[in-house]
Amino acid sequence: MSKPADLVQGTLDLLLLKILALQPLHGWAISLRLRSLSSDVLQVSEGSLYPALHKLEQEGWIKAEWKQTENNRRAKFYSLTRLGRAELESETANWQRLSSAISHVVQLSEA
Amino acid sequence: MRMEHWWFTAPLRLKSIFRRRRVESELDQELQFHLEHKIEEGIAEGLSPEEARYRAMRAMGGLEQRKEEIRDARHIHWLTDFVDDLRYAIRSLRRTPGLTAFVVVTIALGIGMTATPFSMLDALIFRPYPVPHPKDVVTLVSTSRDNAFDSFSYREYLDIRDHAKSYEGVIANAPLMGVGFSSEPRATPLVRGGMLVSGNYFRVLGAEPRLGRGFRADEDRAPGRDAVVVLGPDFWKNEFGSDPSVIGRTIRLNGRDFTVIGVAPATFTGMFIFSRPDLYVPLAMAPLFSTNPKKNFFLDRGDRELTVRARLKPGTTVREARNELALLARDFEREYPKFNRDRGAAVRTQFEMRTRDDDGNWKFGVIFTILALAVLLVACTNAAGLLLSRARTRTREIAVRLAIGAGRFRLIRLLLTESLVLALLGGLGGIAVGYAGITLLSRFQIPTELPVKLPFRMDTHVLLASLAFSVLSALFCGLAPALQSTRMDLVNGLKSGDGDEPGRKRLWGRNALVVAQIALSLMLLAASFLMARGFQRAIAMGTDFAKDVKDHLLMMRFDPRLVQYNEAQTQQFYKRLNERVRQEPGVRSAALTQNPPLGLDNFGAVSFVPEGFQMPRDRESFTADMDTIDEGFFETMDVPVLRGRGFRASDTADAPLVAVVNEHFSKHYWPNGDAVGKRIRLDHAAGTPVEIVGVAQTIKYRDSFDKGIDFVYMPLAQHPVARMILLVRSNGDPLQLVEPMKDVVRRLDANMPISEMRTYSDLYRYAAVDGPGVAVKLVGTLGAVGLVLAIAGLYGLVSYNVTRRTREIGIRMAIGAQPGDVLRLMMGKGLVLVGIGTVIGLTMGVALERLMNSMLFNAGGVDMLVYLVVVPAMVLVTMLAAYVPARKASRIPPTMALRYE
Repeated sequence: MSKPADLVQGTLDLLLLKILALQPLHGWAISLRLRSLSSDVLQVSEGSLYPALHKLEQEGWIKAEWKQTENNRRAKFYSLTRLGRAELESETANWQRLSSAISHVVQLSEA
Repeated sequence: MRMEHWWFTAPLRLKSIFRRRRVESELDQELQFHLEHKIEEGIAEGLSPEEARYRAMRAMGGLEQRKEEIRDARHIHWLTDFVDDLRYAIRSLRRTPGLTAFVVVTIALGIGMTATPFSMLDALIFRPYPVPHPKDVVTLVSTSRDNAFDSFSYREYLDIRDHAKSYEGVIANAPLMGVGFSSEPRATPLVRGGMLVSGNYFRVLGAEPRLGRGFRADEDRAPGRDAVVVLGPDFWKNEFGSDPSVIGRTIRLNGRDFTVIGVAPATFTGMFIFSRPDLYVPLAMAPLFSTNPKKNFFLDRGDRELTVRARLKPGTTVREARNELALLARDFEREYPKFNRDRGAAVRTQFEMRTRDDDGNWKFGVIFTILALAVLLVACTNAAGLLLSRARTRTREIAVRLAIGAGRFRLIRLLLTESLVLALLGGLGGIAVGYAGITLLSRFQIPTELPVKLPFRMDTHVLLASLAFSVLSALFCGLAPALQSTRMDLVNGLKSGDGDEPGRKRLWGRNALVVAQIALSLMLLAASFLMARGFQRAIAMGTDFAKDVKDHLLMMRFDPRLVQYNEAQTQQFYKRLNERVRQEPGVRSAALTQNPPLGLDNFGAVSFVPEGFQMPRDRESFTADMDTIDEGFFETMDVPVLRGRGFRASDTADAPLVAVVNEHFSKHYWPNGDAVGKRIRLDHAAGTPVEIVGVAQTIKYRDSFDKGIDFVYMPLAQHPVARMILLVRSNGDPLQLVEPMKDVVRRLDANMPISEMRTYSDLYRYAAVDGPGVAVKLVGTLGAVGLVLAIAGLYGLVSYNVTRRTREIGIRMAIGAQPGDVLRLMMGKGLVLVGIGTVIGLTMGVALERLMNSMLFNAGGVDMLVYLVVVPAMVLVTMLAAYVPARKASRIPPTMALRYE
């Protein structure tokens, strides 16, 4: 059961926060968005999506509400809280530091 | 940030705990919504509905696992697991109701037995003063070589109050005293408990009256000027029916009019453990209440009657206060060498005050608690043994759980939850048992008219302690069985329903329990026997004096100062009273005493130097208890004068001063000679000489546990005292003299109040029979309960151990062992355990006896009788417990025994 293009630990949280920062979405829409945004490079197993969402909710970073969808069905919409926004900022900064460091390392020409 | 985090998460947690079902159904809906979309997507891509569904489920990667993951994210699984465990525990306990009931009753007895002494300890030591910030209130004591808890004189109090910087305020009070109280001027005074306090008393303690006011600072300045009184809350309720209009009313105390200015708050029950003052009067009114009018309370630095307390300033430590007071004491010593030579001063905390070495009550409480904890330990050992055997019969169940993936920790938690349920049930029962015990304890009556209350009660302290004990005992009972039964070899565990793993490790636990049972119960029994015997011996020694007379003595207390007699009038009254009483028919003799033997008052103290005695270099005088009596005392009280003479009418104030001492005193200071004819000097080597004219038998003075103390009698004529007890010895029933005696007093002075009129046997019963009787009963109950529990547990454990070896017995028989061999083997094993337990129990028993002897009374060495009775009983029980199942096992055919599971 190897996951294709395994996500770096903690990156899924960052992706979810980022997606929800743009607009409140329900789980299904989030999974679609994940797929399209990363042009199928990052595949998030749908199974691990919901535990991750619930974890974020328990941390207080996102909150959930039941609302009607455009075709009149009830769905649970997630949106970012103030705490979540702060978390997103610090995580984004972290990520940029980390990724630039890594790309710096891999671009080193071999002596 | 932290707060905001909780703002978002707390509602979620609460929701997931209390609306579990709703949360679950929302989760289902959410996942369902996802799946439906996924399926629709699949169908749109041209898959069949079945294929689409299958793909959707697979993408989820196991729906139930995901749900479980999500539930874990809620951080409440510890709670839901606990609830599940609880349900399971209750279900499985209900399957074995007999065993459950036995364990619950065992623990209930153990905890109940602990609650009672703990309530004693709580009341005697730990309960804080009923004032705000009680920890800041300390007691200041004067220290001398003989007394590390001495009081201060008024002058010393003023100096400390004005010079010490460590305190927010320094207060003082005189001891509780009997006060003649009448609510209106004409009424005959009744005796009530009054206390002289400094003007700042309520303010510093933080107990200012809410009704009316407390004392003003100037109200304790001028001696005798401000006749104001604050009522105690209980007194206000009982005497005035909680009438608020009592403020401003005039009441009469010791014949003088006082204005009621306030009522102490209901929460302020006073600063003592046992007594609750009825009336508070400013210190400046002291002359009206003084026991010795000759002393000058306001000037005499040596008249140490005041208990001084103080409230520490915030941030000041006890150590700083101590250093400061020590410096002050040194100043006193320099300035007033006459009064303060070799005298220091110390600051004592509440705990130190309550654990004084010369107080027996708290020590009894401590010993009682140790014994009770031993009973609890026996009870827990019992319960542990039972749970252990229960766990063994569940070997297969536990093996199955382990095999299908239950974690060991999780299983231990499950088993511990079971013990917790048992222990909490037992704890509830224990609280009931404890409540009964405490009620019994506080029903005990003290024969006095002063406001004395036994403060033992079931309060939150005791409840919390009982609860804590239950939880601790759950851990203790449950941990070992839980650890043992989850540490198993799965293959063996699954194969046999109830199999013992070969090897000694298994048996070790149960053998240790057997040994612990025996050792603990032996220790308990030794201690309770010792106590019972110690009490009996203490009572038997020296209480003979009252054997014949106690049923023929009527006592009554007088204090003519209550009706404004001066000293001459007082002595005249006693003289005439004595003459008239003797003339009444049915009266054999009469006597006056300040406090009879075993009386409720404290005896006075006399300091003296025996003439010709080589004083130790660092001491100026010795002290001994004393009583002031008249010439009829020894005859009336039936205390034999062994040598010399008692007092005579000729020992008047003008005659040479004389005293009678007891045998103990005589032997103490003249070990090779006789005290008669010798002289002592009062206070110091150059003090007034007093000739010892007689030596009386040593009896009991303060209480029936006296180890024999020095005692001095002084004649009333030479040391006039106002507050006296008249003892009348009758030919027949002393109660028939009650009315004639009242008539005699009425004819002398119709207003003279009589208090504490009762037979001496009442007092004697309280001091020498009931009081020690309660103690003996408590200890006896503990010992008996401990023994019964231990024997039941011992029998259960031993017979279970043997039953478990039925198969082994079968094998032994099959290869040729005789029934006799089997019996010998099984019983021998039990006897070894009894032997080890006895040795440990003996050691602990001896240690505890030492402790008790040093703390309470010297009842002699180790009591062999106990061991001679108890050890064989233990051996017998063990033999029987091993014999019955072993014989049964040796009787069944080997083929059956081999198959025995």
